[in-house]
Order: sequence, then C-alpha cells, then structure tokens
Amino acid sequence: MKHSKINKIRMRETLVSYAFLAPALFFFCIFVLLPMIMGVVTSFFRYNMKGMTFIGLDNYINMFKDEVWQKSLVNTLILVVGSVPITVLFALFVAAMTYEKNPFTRSFFRCVFFLPVVTGTVAVTVVWKWIYDPLNGILNWLLKSMNIIEKNIMWTGDKKFALWAILIILITTSVGQPVILYIASLGNVPKDYVEAAQVDGANDFQVFWQIKWPSLLPTTLYIVVITTINSFQCFSLIQLLTSGGPNYRTTTIMYYLYENAFKRFEYGYANAMGVVLALIIGLISFVQFKALGSDVEY
Amino acid sequence: MKKILSLGLTAALLVTTLAGCGGGEQSSSETTAASAGTSAAAESNDGAGAPASSGDTVEITWWAFPTFAQDADQPAGTYEAEIVAAFETKNPDIKVKLETIDFTSGPEKITAAIEAGTVCDVLFDAPGRIISYAQNGKLVKLDDMFTDEYIKDVDNEALLNSCKSDDGSYYMYPISTAAFCMAVSRQALEAADAMDCINTEGDRTWTTAQFEEMLKKLSDAGFNGATVYCSGQGGDQGIRAFVTNLYDSQVTNDEVTEYTLNDEGGIKALTKIKEWVDAGYMLNGSAYNGGEDVDQFVAGNTAFTTLWSPGLASQRAETLKENEIEAIALPFPSEDGTPELEYLVNGFCVFDNGDAARAEASKKFIDFLCNDEEWGPKNVVRTSVFPVRQTMGDLYSGDAEMQFYANLTKYYSPYYNTIKGFAEMRTYWFPMLQAVLNGDSTPEDAVNDFVSKANQSIANAQ
Repeated sequence: MKHSKINKIRMRETLVSYAFLAPALFFFCIFVLLPMIMGVVTSFFRYNMKGMTFIGLDNYINMFKDEVWQKSLVNTLILVVGSVPITVLFALFVAAMTYEKNPFTRSFFRCVFFLPVVTGTVAVTVVWKWIYDPLNGILNWLLKSMNIIEKNIMWTGDKKFALWAILIILITTSVGQPVILYIASLGNVPKDYVEAAQVDGANDFQVFWQIKWPSLLPTTLYIVVITTINSFQCFSLIQLLTSGGPNYRTTTIMYYLYENAFKRFEYGYANAMGVVLALIIGLISFVQFKALGSDVEY
Repeated sequence: MKKILSLGLTAALLVTTLAGCGGGEQSSSETTAASAGTSAAAESNDGAGAPASSGDTVEITWWAFPTFAQDADQPAGTYEAEIVAAFETKNPDIKVKLETIDFTSGPEKITAAIEAGTVCDVLFDAPGRIISYAQNGKLVKLDDMFTDEYIKDVDNEALLNSCKSDDGSYYMYPISTAAFCMAVSRQALEAADAMDCINTEGDRTWTTAQFEEMLKKLSDAGFNGATVYCSGQGGDQGIRAFVTNLYDSQVTNDEVTEYTLNDEGGIKALTKIKEWVDAGYMLNGSAYNGGEDVDQFVAGNTAFTTLWSPGLASQRAETLKENEIEAIALPFPSEDGTPELEYLVNGFCVFDNGDAARAEASKKFIDFLCNDEEWGPKNVVRTSVFPVRQTMGDLYSGDAEMQFYANLTKYYSPYYNTIKGFAEMRTYWFPMLQAVLNGDSTPEDAVNDFVSKANQSIANAQ
C-alpha cells in the first residue's frame, strides 16, 4: 500500500517534470530535430527549386569527388586545428595571468576579450576589413611604418595569407568565452590544495600541473568541444570577408554548403554536406570526450 | 494547488513562447506599413509571408530591392510607400504590403521564402534572378500584359527577349534599362597628362590600345588603376564586359546557347589583364567586390572603375563632389573601338502563390508602377535610367550626360543573363579570375575550365 503511494508520487513528479520540459522539447523537435531529419532525408534526393527526385547516394558520391568540397574540407580542418589549441592555450594563459588580480583589472581583461564575442559578427568583420584593406588598411600602414614590408599586402585576397587572415579573426572572436570560463574555473580551485602543495615544496609549474590543471579539465573539455564546433561551422566571416576566395582558398564546408543551397539552389547536395559535417563534428567531439572526459574527477 | 499552479505556469510559458514565435512578419524591422489600411489588413494574415485575398479586398505583398532612389536622408522604402499609397487611392480594393530587401541578404531571403511557401506576390528585380525563378516554375505568366501596342512601343527585341523564359512566355515586365560602362577620374587623367588617351566626344568610344596607354601614363604619374575586382558576386557583369570587350570576345554565342569566352579574344584579354596587374597598372582585386571597387574610385584611391552606370553616377554624385572628382563615363575599350555592352533591365515579376485574385491584383499593381501617366515616368526617373517605352520620351531633357548614357543602348550585346544555369555560372566566374590573377592557372587553362563548368551548368539546369 505504502509502496504504491510512493510510485504514485513518483509518477506525478515525473509527469510534472515532463510538463515543464514540454515547451522546450516541443521547440527542439520542431526547429531542431525535424529539420535534421528532413536534412538527412533530402540528402538522398536531387532537390532543387523544380522538385525532388530520389538519387540514393549520388549526392554523397559526387561530394567526395568534388574538388572544391575537398578544398573546403582541408580549409575547415586547418581552421579547426589552428584555432582550437591556440584559443585554449591563449585563454588559459590570459586567465592564469589575471584571475588573481584585483577585481577592476580582472573585469577589464574580461571585458577586453569578451567584447568581440558580444559585438555582432558583421561589425567585427567590417572592422577587420578596414584593418586588412590592401590600399588603406591600418595593418599594411603599420608594417610599412616599421619597415617590415615594402609593398602593400592583400591579406584576404592573396593565396598565401587569406586563410591565416581568417584564422586570426576566428581566434579573436573565439577566445572571449574561454577566458571568462577559465577565470571562473581558476577561482574555484580550492586554495587549501594549492597551499598544501606549496608547503610540501611544489614549485609553480608543479602546482599548476598537479593541482590546478585537473580541476580545469571539465572546463577545458567544454571549451575544446565548443571551440571545435564553432570552428567547423565558420561561415559568416568567410561570407562577409572573402566569399571563399581567392580561388576557394578560404572556402569552408559551411560556406560551400551555403553556396550550393542559396546560389545554385542545389538543396539536396547542400544537405548531404550538412550531414557529413555533422558526422565529422560528432566523431571529433566523441574522441574529445573520450580523451579529456575520463580524467574529469572531483 | 502547487501542481495546478505549476501546470498553469507551464501552459502560460508554452502559449507566450508560441505567441512570440508567431507574427514574425509583423515584427520585421524591414517591413514598412505602406498605409494604415495596409497594416490593418496585414494583421489578419498572421505572418504568413503571402497574404490571402478575402472578401472584396485583395492584399498583395511587394518585395523591393533598393533600386528606386530616395529623397535625401530618407530611408529605403520611403518612395515605394508613396507609390503604394497612390495606388491604393486609385484601387481601394487592393492593399499592398511593402517590404524592402537588400542586395546582400535579399536573394537568400527570396530562395528561402520560395521553399517555405511564403514568398511575396510582386518582386522588383532584374532578369538574371527573375527568369531563373520562371525556369523553375515559380512565376505567373505575364503574356497578357505584353500587348501588341506595348511590344511596338518597346521595339527592342533583345530587351523583350530578356523578359522571356525558355518556354517563350514573358515573366518579367520591364520598366527601365541602361548600359553598364566604366568611369575615369578627370582629375587623375589631367594630372597624368592622359586626357588624350580617352575620347570625350560623341559616344566616347575608344580602343584597347588607348586604354593601355592611359594605364601606363596613370601608373607613371603614381595613380592606382582600377581593381580587377573578383570577390563576392555583385557587379560581376561589369568586369565580364570589360574582359570581353578588350579583344572582341563574347561570353556566349549569339544564340545564347553556349559559353564561348575561351575564344582567342577571351584568352588574350585575360592574359593582358594579368600582365597589367603584374605590372602594377591595375590592382589585383581578389579582396574587392564590385561595390568596393566603386568605393575606391569615388574616394579617389583609384583613377578609374570598370563598374559604372547612370544609377551609380546618381548614387555616388555627392561623394564625388565631396572628393572633388569628376567622373567621366566611358564605354568599355575594345580592339576595334566598337563596344558591346551588357545592360541592366529593371522589372517586375509575379510569384505564383496559387491565388488567381492576388495574381490579377499584382498585375494591376505592376501596370500602375510602369504605365500610370503620373507615376510611370516618375518611377523610371527614380531608377536613374531610361524608360523601356519609347512613348515616355526623353525624361532627362537637357541633360547631356544622360543623353550620352541613352546613346549607349545601340551597343547592347546579346543578353545572356536568362540562359539556363546562369546562377550557377556566376559562382565560377570570380574564382576563375582569382585563379588567373593569383597565378594558380594560366589564363587559357582557367578560362577553358570556366567555360567547361559554365556549359555544364546549362546541362545541370535542364
């Protein structure tokens, strides 16, 4: 009798919980799950403005043969491999340097690094466009003033520099959130452990590596996963700054997907790219969880 | 009690969230309620992109790119709202809901709306996009608007063909047209002692040899030549016309069935352009789009631009004045001195939203926009180009500069923007130029590859 009453209470609690979840679940299903399913389904069709024809795996086969897609994949991987470690290390460095400073200094640095995050991508890109402008850009002016270069460099139009120019912007816009998270995370490392280690004769490196770093692993995992996903989905910078040029040197998978969907009206082909991109991100995230997640202990 | 309260709160949350998601169109910052009546009518349509006809009143939606010039300091859509008000006064049974779109995000918005079934009724655009929508079966035929009298009045087969799809039906109703050309800075040319390189008389035609001499003089005097802009996609027609004219090449054959830019003239032109860029006579424009090339010209950073039109001259007049630059418009130089110019055609189309009443109302609105005794000529002048109807006469009487632009119509080349797969071809054009300018390919290989892909785009679109 008592047992069935407990079950009843549990059932009611469960129902109430689901009722609270219902709105979010409803929108998740309508605006995330359903489009995802539709994306997967339509990737097996020749789907354009005229209609849909089932073509099986043709979109996928064509995609892997597509030279521009191959270039896009390489460019995307370069951006990911370039931006993720630098973002994590730089954010950790900034956080380590500032988290023990007085509140004003800490807030100042948080503000400086978070500003590009809260500023709209369009505004940030316009500023970078001015910086990189081949004729009147401040970067060329600065480098020429310092006698580092003799002639203006076309940062976003030169095949040698374009992708790196994008990578720099990507890092500056990615580093803000990790800095904030690391500052918060470092502030939460128990001081007792640090002091105990110091009393035992541990040097600064040992304190960091043996005491602080394990405490930072959950934050690091989150930062690595989020930064990886954001880098894979790099699109607006490319669209606003280079349109994938010069000669596809900065075309990423997301930009090529957009070009196929909105400029060539090849929706099915674009969806196939979206599916493969999601799989790549999923796989890499899985590896990251396996590599960094196992050591997360408190 | 607690549970009831919780459930009540959850339900309220759900309802308010749903309400927040609804009515998107009403909250759009770009939406301009053309009149009080329009707003009221729009409310009944609950954000469903395309309003429905009901009772005696038909409501249609008009999406307009910023082609009409606005009065000084007036935001986009102000003049369009005046047109709508005038139309609604004359046609109280039709309500027009106006939405302005921009050239950057507008095309994507249209594509998304077509797929979502929320596209507008009337679109003000150009044949390149409009005919591709027609080829995909998204538009209403406008054959009944092209009366014998109208066709006789236009009397320009190439222009009329630009309004047709491959099924022979008309899908775009044109209002105005003008040739694309280039412009040079008088101040730069005078300072470089290069005024003798250009022709300022008659139609101002000139040769490639004269152009090359001008480049050298400008460079010697320390001026930057134009950028060979090839980023983004906008303005691609300008640089294409520049390339084809240099050595009398053509983008397509005369029948507009095949791309032919890899002919001897096309390869020679690209080779020459690469030489000029390498010599510093022109700038590698891999980082510039068409608009930015014009920006550099009006700012005085470059001595000429290969993207110019009467519309651009009007839009940039103030900046040119501020920078004390006099822009001399010129046709593109060609080997024999006879240019073949690309041209813009402004016009309207009607999307097939499955409602005959709305389609008819849309046609009536288009007729008002283009043919109303008062508003027709006014609207043409607002596009800063020339009427397609000859009976409208000279709308720029006494303006010698506009007379020059008007004279360029005789150099119109075959209009290929309506070719199947045009949208796909455009995505190959700038990468090809970038490949040439950055030394990734030889001009011959690059243009052969471009033509091969462009011709494949025709097949893809079948």
